Amino acid sequence: MLSCREVAARASALIDGELGLAQRLRMRLHLAMCRGCARFVAQLRLATALIALAGGEEPGQDPSRLAAILDRLGHPEGGDGT
Amino acid sequence: MSPAEEAALVRRLAAGDGEAFALVWRRHNAAMVRVATGILGNRASAEEVAQDSWIAVMRAIGDFRGDCSLAGWIFTILVNTARNRAAREGRMVSFEETDGPDGLADAFDGRGRWRRMPALWEELTPERIVAGRSVLAHVEAAIAALPPGQRAVIVLRAQVGLEAREVCEILGISEGNMRVMLHRARLAVRAALERIA
Repeated sequence: MLSCREVAARASALIDGELGLAQRLRMRLHLAMCRGCARFVAQLRLATALIALAGGEEPGQDPSRLAAILDRLGHPEGGDGT
Repeated sequence: MSPAEEAALVRRLAAGDGEAFALVWRRHNAAMVRVATGILGNRASAEEVAQDSWIAVMRAIGDFRGDCSLAGWIFTILVNTARNRAAREGRMVSFEETDGPDGLADAFDGRGRWRRMPALWEELTPERIVAGRSVLAHVEAAIAALPPGQRAVIVLRAQVGLEAREVCEILGISEGNMRVMLHRARLAVRAALERIA
């Protein structure tokens, strides 16, 4: 049987669906019997979901930066191969 | 975005369609600044690098052949621009991570069992996460504190959603290394959440 340390090391692979059938079953078996690891994997799943959420929005994106780029594109400076 | 939609978008960009540019800029600029900040270590330089990258993207868009995704191509330019600037400032940036702490070094006893059982995060409910920005702010701070490689992997793979293969090519790392970094980054975010749960 996998140790808790081994389960923790493979937790991301489990979440990402990268484990083969045998490995997945060994993980499931451990998780069914070990509350600590079940909680750990749930925590890592939450962390994974929140990481994706954190990238979803960025308040304070300054529209003037967009304008500055459009401005530079409209007036290409010489010497850089345009 | 389907390949056909992406091809249409690229054609609009190549034709100088400002609306198409604004769309792509809004979609990627924040993530570009985050990756560049990880590489350069400061936000002001990162903003400049992002802007220079956009100029390079728009000047070269006619050469984009769709061998990779548009996002992958844009982030290739961004990472190269940021690395070049870091090199000019005398900093060598390597994304490869071989050994390092994963935050769980002391979590297990000699037989590989939890020393202290992970807590049930009863307070960290989806409602609370949706209700306030504080939880996400914690996550963002934890990501900002990651080493450059982990930060780049997190943004490119988990946030921008690039294919694993593209992330590895852009950063010059192996797929195995990328998975290790992704795991370590998640462990770091989990540890940050543990402090507020």
